[in-house]
Amino acid sequence: MNTDKPLLIKRLWVVSFSLMLVLLAAMFLGLSLGSSQSGIKAVFQNLLGIGPHDPMLDTIIWKIRFPRVLLATLVGGTLSLGGLVFQALLKNPLAEPYILGISGGSAIGAIIGILIGLVRFPGVSLTAFSGSIGTLLLILVMSSGQTILKKDALLLSGVMVNAFCGAIIMFLVSLTQDARLHNIIFWLMGDLSMVDMPQVGILAAMLVPCFFLLFWFSNSMNLLLMGKEMAQTMGVNVKAVTVILLVATSFMVSATVSYCGLVGFVGLVVPHLLRLLFGPDHRVLVPACVFGGGAYLVFCDVLARTLPDQGEMPAGVITAMIGAPLFIYLLKRTRR
Amino acid sequence: MAFRISDMLNCRSMVIFVLAATSFIVFSGTPSLARTVTDQLGRNVTVPDEPRRIVSLAPNITEIIFALGQEHLLIGATRFSDYPPEAEKLPKVGSYVHLDLEKIVALKPDLCIAIKDGNPIVVAKRLESLKIPVYAVDPKNLETIMQTVLEIGGLINAEKRADLLVQNMDLRIQKVKSLVSNVTHRPRVFFQIGVSPIVSVGTHTFIHGLIVLAGGTNLAEGPISYPRFSREQVLALSPEVIIITSMARAAIFEQVKAEWNKWPDLPAVRNQRIFLEDSNFFDRPTPRLVDGLELLVRLIHPELFKEAE
Amino acid sequence: MAIDIKNLNYYYGDIPALKDLTFSVTKGDFFIIIGPNGSGKTTLMKLMAGILKPKKGRLKILNRAIGNYTRKDLAKTMAFVPQIMPVDFPFSVIEVVLMGRSPYMGMLGVEQEEDLKIAKQALTFTGAEHLAHRKLDQLSGGEQQRVFIARALCQEPDIILLDEPTASLDLAHQTRLMDLMEKLKKEKGITVVMVSHDINLAAMYSDRLLLLNKGEIVCLGHPDEVLTFRTLEAAYGCTLLVDESPLGKIPRITPVPHKYLDHHQKG
Repeated sequence: MNTDKPLLIKRLWVVSFSLMLVLLAAMFLGLSLGSSQSGIKAVFQNLLGIGPHDPMLDTIIWKIRFPRVLLATLVGGTLSLGGLVFQALLKNPLAEPYILGISGGSAIGAIIGILIGLVRFPGVSLTAFSGSIGTLLLILVMSSGQTILKKDALLLSGVMVNAFCGAIIMFLVSLTQDARLHNIIFWLMGDLSMVDMPQVGILAAMLVPCFFLLFWFSNSMNLLLMGKEMAQTMGVNVKAVTVILLVATSFMVSATVSYCGLVGFVGLVVPHLLRLLFGPDHRVLVPACVFGGGAYLVFCDVLARTLPDQGEMPAGVITAMIGAPLFIYLLKRTRR
Repeated sequence: MAFRISDMLNCRSMVIFVLAATSFIVFSGTPSLARTVTDQLGRNVTVPDEPRRIVSLAPNITEIIFALGQEHLLIGATRFSDYPPEAEKLPKVGSYVHLDLEKIVALKPDLCIAIKDGNPIVVAKRLESLKIPVYAVDPKNLETIMQTVLEIGGLINAEKRADLLVQNMDLRIQKVKSLVSNVTHRPRVFFQIGVSPIVSVGTHTFIHGLIVLAGGTNLAEGPISYPRFSREQVLALSPEVIIITSMARAAIFEQVKAEWNKWPDLPAVRNQRIFLEDSNFFDRPTPRLVDGLELLVRLIHPELFKEAE
Repeated sequence: MAIDIKNLNYYYGDIPALKDLTFSVTKGDFFIIIGPNGSGKTTLMKLMAGILKPKKGRLKILNRAIGNYTRKDLAKTMAFVPQIMPVDFPFSVIEVVLMGRSPYMGMLGVEQEEDLKIAKQALTFTGAEHLAHRKLDQLSGGEQQRVFIARALCQEPDIILLDEPTASLDLAHQTRLMDLMEKLKKEKGITVVMVSHDINLAAMYSDRLLLLNKGEIVCLGHPDEVLTFRTLEAAYGCTLLVDESPLGKIPRITPVPHKYLDHHQKG
């Protein structure tokens, strides 16, 4: 019998390394392209420190584009990872990172923050974050009549709460007539443009530990797919693992959303894409989601910034326009 | 003839000396080329004495700069800076609610003029952290608009023209005030800015101020800036004049007018006093608001002008 | 004793599922639990597997109370083979089998040479080595089950629990499975505890049989003792014929269809 299938460590390194390269390429693109036509060659020279020194280009690359690219990496990685974990926890391929009320709750929090005139940072971020955590707690309470282990209760409560919040959001939007309406719409569509380096640094400090934590539990996620009872007989503390995964992921996604609004579709499609490419093992998928998801959003954000003649599209539009056909193509290819 | 080494050395040292002297003059001179002012939000901003590369962060600011004859100083403006038409040719830096930071920085401005209502303060702060001064204005009514014109005039070395412009505005406003001072009846005006749903203007809008100055009563006055009305509510208010502004074309106006004409009990319908006007005269905080004021007076109190004729 | 149960009670809410059960399972036995639907068989299995906690009473595995085992230690002692294979489980056979090594590997389950060797052996033992690189969901029910048994073997358990393993297998695979269990018992000394609905198979293979009904023990002992006409009819509530199998002194149970019952035809 041939058990020469590569051991975990080797697979992990190969996948992580290749996706890291993809991420770096995407980041380079992200630094080179933007609404001011600087040209890829000029950026290349700037990065390597050769050629004439242009302080304006420096500013544009490092003070404007770099924070944004970094943010896109973090957000793309977080959302993909969030989708992955929820898909495993809830055993539902339609699960995505906003599913447990996070989109509804954070949007209401953000809208209230915008309406009462708070600034984006830290005001609206904090209200969005609180809204998100608030709805999560609400859902946990609602579905705790049965234990947390009854995953359908959790899922359904999440869907209901999101729907209800959606109605409130539409109501609030319909009442707003002035410039605040723009702010609200941009927030709802996902807006990566409003951050600078210190803020990205804070977000990174919150997210990176979560990445490591979720990686630590990646094998447990594999076992959980076998069924909660089965996983328990194999030594997994199902209740504790479920709670940790739930809390860490919700925290991570809430933090992300509080920074940049509801960037859509990344958390749904990237885990499936990566699963089609690299298999179902979460130990490989967790780092793959971080690097691959990051690369994906950086790339989509570049397109969002450079495609339109004027202004920029919401990145969530591009992620859906590219992601859906790509996914269908991959699906057909692996059907055989 | 070949250079001798001593010549070369002399050449080089001359160049270095000249460069050093120039730099010294330039850099020692720099502090005196800027001053600190307080903008309309109470912020202390260090602005250049003679700004040469200005980016306007709102359409009304673009208008004001053109009105002061200083458009040659403008190197960029937001989208929808469409008045006067020449302004359309300026490089665009995003919309006033979603500014394109990169484009602004790439234009290397030495001053940006922002508007409080609309420009995200985040962007202003980032521009300042990149050493680009941002002067903010907050025109809320005719008076503060005139104040804004004066301040911008002061910023861009067009004080004389600003004074003239403001005096002219003031004159016209006073004329309207005196015309209207003797009217006995202030007609009920319904100013419709939204077609579907029907939206009017509350007390804290420019338009309200204009209606009152023009001798009318704003039926929608109240704390909500853009209140909505159902058709019933408007009928109950029984407006004598209906003024409709929207970016809509004439065809749509005819439709809207026909909608109102279905209710012949409305005084405005009975007396055929339903009008369509260009919204740009009414919702941008610029000197053109005075044009809007004069328009309104003619619509609300036509009798004052018949006498003149 | 492999499993020692005393005064075990369990209820779902107010409804009692198991009432005061007391019995034990000898090491190395092939122990089969039978009974009608709702008798509490599955509940008992879940309690033994550590999935449910007893409400009252005592449950000891290898002379140690089940509560005193850490999860991992319990996993190294006892393995569970479910009745229904998980859906949406896209792993390959070798990956599934290696999961059985998780009580021995760290949090990340990084497999070593040793683990691969044991996995290989387990697959060979269950006759599934040729399936190693196939995807689990491409296999037939019987093949999937063998893979899960191989996984269970990787846990190197002293006891293996199976929940109605023959329920969806055809005749050939049913015997094959039971033979495999016997092989486990004889060659590895593993105690096999099984819940079964197939009384005849239970009769042919079990060392000891436990007949449950309505959460209580009806009878416990050798198949001969348990599978009598009286006990079975009382428990299952239908007419049964009990005779001897042509294969030897093994009870054979035949359910009696209605048409074969003596009835006086009326008029």
